[in-house]
Amino acid sequence: MSMAKRIVLVEDPPLKTCVGCRTCELACSFFHEKVFNPQKSRVQVIREELAISRPIFCVQCSDPPCAAACSQGAIVRNTKMGAVIIVEDLCTGCGACIEACPFRAIWLHPEKKIAIKCDLCGGLPVCIKYCPQRVLLYTEEGG
Amino acid sequence: MLFEYSGYTGKYLRVDLTRGKIVEVPTEEWRARLYLGGNGFGTRIIWDEVLAGTDPLSPENRLIFATGPLTGTIWPSAGRLEVIGKSPLTGIYGDANSGGHFAPELKYAGYDMIIFQGRSGKPLYLWIEDDSAELRDASHLWGKTTWETEEIIHRDHGDDKIEIAGIGPAGEKSVRFASVITRGRAAARTGQGAIMGSKNLKCIAVRGTKDVKVADDEFYDYAYEIHQQILANDYTPNESRYGTPGLVTLMNEIGRFPTKNFQRGDFEFANDISAEVIERDFLVRRVGCFACPIGCGRAAEVREGPYKGIYTEGVEYETINALGARSWNRDMASILRGDFLCDSYGLDTISTGGAIAFAIECFEKGIITKKDTGGLELKWGDPEVVLQLIEKIARREGVGDVLAEGVRRAAQKFGNGADYYAIHVKGMETSAQDPRAQQSYILAHITSTRGADHLKGFPCIDESGYVDAAVERYGRQYLPEIVDGVSTKYKPMVVKDGEELGVIADSAIVCKFGTQFPPCYYWPELARGISLATGMELDVAELKKIGERIYNLQRCFNVREGISRKDDTQPKRILVEGGSGRAKGYSAGPLQDPMLDEYYELRRWDKKTGWPTRAIEELDLKDVADALEKIGRLPESQKKKF
Repeated sequence: MSMAKRIVLVEDPPLKTCVGCRTCELACSFFHEKVFNPQKSRVQVIREELAISRPIFCVQCSDPPCAAACSQGAIVRNTKMGAVIIVEDLCTGCGACIEACPFRAIWLHPEKKIAIKCDLCGGLPVCIKYCPQRVLLYTEEGG
Repeated sequence: MLFEYSGYTGKYLRVDLTRGKIVEVPTEEWRARLYLGGNGFGTRIIWDEVLAGTDPLSPENRLIFATGPLTGTIWPSAGRLEVIGKSPLTGIYGDANSGGHFAPELKYAGYDMIIFQGRSGKPLYLWIEDDSAELRDASHLWGKTTWETEEIIHRDHGDDKIEIAGIGPAGEKSVRFASVITRGRAAARTGQGAIMGSKNLKCIAVRGTKDVKVADDEFYDYAYEIHQQILANDYTPNESRYGTPGLVTLMNEIGRFPTKNFQRGDFEFANDISAEVIERDFLVRRVGCFACPIGCGRAAEVREGPYKGIYTEGVEYETINALGARSWNRDMASILRGDFLCDSYGLDTISTGGAIAFAIECFEKGIITKKDTGGLELKWGDPEVVLQLIEKIARREGVGDVLAEGVRRAAQKFGNGADYYAIHVKGMETSAQDPRAQQSYILAHITSTRGADHLKGFPCIDESGYVDAAVERYGRQYLPEIVDGVSTKYKPMVVKDGEELGVIADSAIVCKFGTQFPPCYYWPELARGISLATGMELDVAELKKIGERIYNLQRCFNVREGISRKDDTQPKRILVEGGSGRAKGYSAGPLQDPMLDEYYELRRWDKKTGWPTRAIEELDLKDVADALEKIGRLPESQKKKF
């Protein structure tokens, strides 16, 4: 299997950090759905503490528990990029993958009620392109 | 029929707190076309619905929470909230604006705006979730600080993604400069929090999962360009690293840093309260507002000493001045503590600091004594005095009850010449620009429609000489005076332009970090961005006309309340005393009137009265001109009589 590409958060606090602006959410939702809606974003910024925000996104595990948990076989690895992909037509929205993900990086689409997660935008993740703090990087290493 | 323009949700809420009724109203197309959003929406509503002479703390006042067509999109810093209502502090037009994440959430929940009227018999909060809204009991929240309120709501609803905008104890007690707070960010000025308190409304809590759509997909790529433009600006790295406190030493050097209640424009201990000190001793982490490429907030914590444990999401330049130099306080930890208290109680730090410095000077001059202060000796440079007065103001205790009325009313109460030390315009305490050292502010403070404030005209280019921006925006022919801080030449033009740019920023709604400071993008970019988002196809001329319409309507609101040229003045101290640093020997007295004449001329307002004229008909404000004529406040109508 080829090395999987994945997104990583690289911070050097207190100055170089995720500041919680959520620009990544907006870029992601527009890229995937042509609307601005953080709920439809495949990356979600959570507030861990008052001032500490962090983006949550799929790390494209080499042995993804979400895929193992899916009874429909809807979660597969894209062989070209190595991204772990949800095949929309096969997903029933049962939520088993959401429960299985140790990074809490999968959630339900607010309208379609199917699971959504980071698919690396087909190769050039827009969150990395847009992140004004430049704390999201693309790496090619074993997951 | 569906709403014609993208960018908007196409509906808003009217909430009558007296009857406990909520009505959903379609956003009117004329409203979007003529007033754009945010600040423009609110301005038209209070003109239409808040009659002259209305007590701002009565049920008849309106309180409007508004978003704009860019709110919730990826446009740089399009997350700001606009709050509008007749000001309890000034008795005229009032608005306040805050960062954070509340306004986008309101749009994701399906609403462009909320208009409150009436007064509830008991404390309530408004809960909004995806196209539905209900009033809920807030008895358990009354008396809580803003931080506690947010925590309780997150816990009760089991969802920490809920965004909350609300008041603390100061708003409940109708302190006339109480703020509305969201995530520790403040819509602070003009006492909008006091209006909220007078209506028995503790907060609004909102959660939304719906779309914000734009008319043209090109918007996304264009917004990216503007993000890059901001990131590439020479001033952005500094703004990102230090935030507004980066201005402290700079403004101090040029004598523009109000000190000892505007006795001076420089503070000899400015280095003790600088951005570098915050970064060295207190910085936890940088924080940014929604969709912002700059991220100027800096979470700070006091790690030792008497103020240990205090935490804020970012003390601003204004607060450092207001709670620091203004009362000769050089203790940075106490300023952070004071900022935390003001945010927790829901107080405007600028007016709070102004009131404290005023009280200290009145004490120094013997106008008030220990008898008035409950035994407290008000001394310059005593952090405990600052902190204790904040507590007293928030609770309206003793002398705090008088100061909670703002310096104009407090000076009337104290008497004995106290008004000389009340540094305000139209009742609002002056923000931290000593206008003698940046003379565009002599004008900008007095033509601001909400009283002394930097964020209306926001004339930045002569602050420390933004030559490139000045040339790009106005042309080479105005150099060098246009960027000279101690020249009044061309400043009326700059202030007028800034006022219109500012109301458009506050209506779109975007942060003025980008449009004005640093001056990264301007009218053409705003016109294109708003057009791509809404589908309105606005060019620069049309967008400027909207700005002019809104600003004139705010002035008309004030004229209807009795404002005229005599109110457009700096306070006496600024008129007669010279400044510091580069402002040595400059007082505002000889400079103010010529600037005002030129400004009125540019605005086509009557020079004698300062009233707008029939010319506002060209701004589609015929009905407004007619209304002013009826009460004898339109200049031509007076001429006809003679």
